[in-house]
Amino acid sequence: MAFTITCPVCGIRRGYEFRFGGEDKGPMPPEESLASETWCEYVHMNNCIAGIQKEWWFHRDGCGSWFTIYRDTTTNQQVENR
Amino acid sequence: MRLKSNSNINGRLWGWDPPLKSSYDAVIIGGGLHGLATAYFLARHHGMSRVAVIEKRYIGFGGSGRNTAIVRANQRTQENLPLYKEALEMWPVLTRELDFNLMFYNCGNLNLAHSEAALKAMRLQVASAQIYGIQSQLVDPEQCKTLIPALDISDRPRYPIYGGMYHPPGGIVRHDAVVWGLAKGAARKGIHIHQGTEVTGIGVKNQKIVSVETDKGKINTSRVLNAAGGYSAALSYQMLGIRLPISVLTIQAMVTQPLKPLLNHVVSSGAYHCYANQTLKGEIATGAHMDPWPNYTNQSTARYIKHQAEAVTEFLPCLKGVKFMRIWGGLADMTPDMAPIIYGNDPIKGYYIDCGWGYFGFKSCLVTGKYMAKFMADGTCPNILKPFTLRRFEQHRLMGETAAVVNYSPDN
Ligand SMILES: Cc1cc2nc3c(=O)[nH]c(=O)nc-3n(C[C@H](O)[C@H](O)[C@H](O)COP(=O)(O)OP(=O)(O)OC[C@H]3O[C@@H](n4cnc5c(N)ncnc54)[C@H](O)[C@@H]3O)c2cc1C
Ligand SMILES: [Zn+2]
Repeated sequence: MAFTITCPVCGIRRGYEFRFGGEDKGPMPPEESLASETWCEYVHMNNCIAGIQKEWWFHRDGCGSWFTIYRDTTTNQQVENR
Repeated sequence: MRLKSNSNINGRLWGWDPPLKSSYDAVIIGGGLHGLATAYFLARHHGMSRVAVIEKRYIGFGGSGRNTAIVRANQRTQENLPLYKEALEMWPVLTRELDFNLMFYNCGNLNLAHSEAALKAMRLQVASAQIYGIQSQLVDPEQCKTLIPALDISDRPRYPIYGGMYHPPGGIVRHDAVVWGLAKGAARKGIHIHQGTEVTGIGVKNQKIVSVETDKGKINTSRVLNAAGGYSAALSYQMLGIRLPISVLTIQAMVTQPLKPLLNHVVSSGAYHCYANQTLKGEIATGAHMDPWPNYTNQSTARYIKHQAEAVTEFLPCLKGVKFMRIWGGLADMTPDMAPIIYGNDPIKGYYIDCGWGYFGFKSCLVTGKYMAKFMADGTCPNILKPFTLRRFEQHRLMGETAAVVNYSPDN
């Protein structure tokens, strides 16, 4: 099935117009007295969920928005926010 | 679903389905090449045969049965080179030892450069390999053409060929044969291989492994190896809350209809994101593109059939009009530095991991299994595996292997 993503500005578009921006990991940890482990967790570590995850996308070949969606990683289908 | 003896490949390979015991000295999650090789060497070198390999589907279901079977040792970094060198040397040895024809075909690999910059990078890579006694050399376009007469070395292609890196000892190994040979060898030494059995949980007490839960019952054990390939990071997070620096992407490969012999080396091109070789059956096997976002679909896409056809016919124009016969996908567990994660006994005693092999974990399965078995038997990490520690990410000591290959990551 074709993979589509709904951009908040442009609506439903082909998935290949977008660039994946990583799993949603919440806000960036504060830089003050930031431990190397905390930074590593934020930058490198992933949950790798086989199922529905919240994630960032960038509308690269479009309006340039950054936004989050929920997607089932086992089917590539975007799903309603839980 | 329990596979029945004698009705299938495992019946013929090891004759019986062992009962799932309530305790083993070690449990290996995943009946792929890394899991099977580790089990084999635990028995062969360390006298540990009370070991279970737990496989959710069937042996070789994961990347081990889906890869394009390319082996080589001309990696880029000093941490990776010794491991891959030994890996390459093990194919003929294991063919004899397992008494199983692994069909090692050392036809050599030619990696094409399509720019001055690519040639310079190859110069470094060649020199690094040579320091470790690995045969690798730079070749000019005419030499490329001599090696593979079908190559188009004119300036017609969008990315003309500037030269290449030729690595004579590499080639192709029949991946299914390695799966079957190792399974047979391990079973002969008393290892229990449980197909159709899923690991559903890992028991930990006082930061020590105590058990493994499966859909067929609980197993008491003090050692577990996570060798679940593309599923290893999800498993680690779900069962132990340990997150790994991995992104799981579907990667695709395909074969053409069989042709008369025309390609007697593995040829690859970073610029075209493409590699190809001719199988012993005559098909051109070519890959491998990755979806630019994480997913577990294993799906193939029209987009990459088109890309692959365009790319491979650019430098091998004689393939125009040839038909693809089959296409398939598998999972690649990618790390940020394109090097694997081999680690253990920390922070949980008895928990070992061997994953993050991306699309390059076939060639390394034997050597990693050999040293992982040693690691699990004495609890201390052998020197050759130390650079692959999980801790390198928080120490900001990522490896430079990224530069050696096309950087397929979701960040592309
Ligand atoms: C298309 C493609 C081309 C490739 N080409 C090459 C190549 O040319 N050269 C190269 O070196 N490498 C290549 N690779 C990479 C290589 O195939 C993998 O790195 C390698 O097979 C990994 O082996 P493994 O044993 O770690 O994992 P796998 O072979 O993936 O085995 C993991 C096993 O774990 C099982 N499992 C998962 N979860 C559970 C659970 N909960 N309980 C029980 N079992 C479970 C799975 O069913 C699977 O069988 C390629 C990969 C792909 C997909
Ligand atoms: Zn948009």
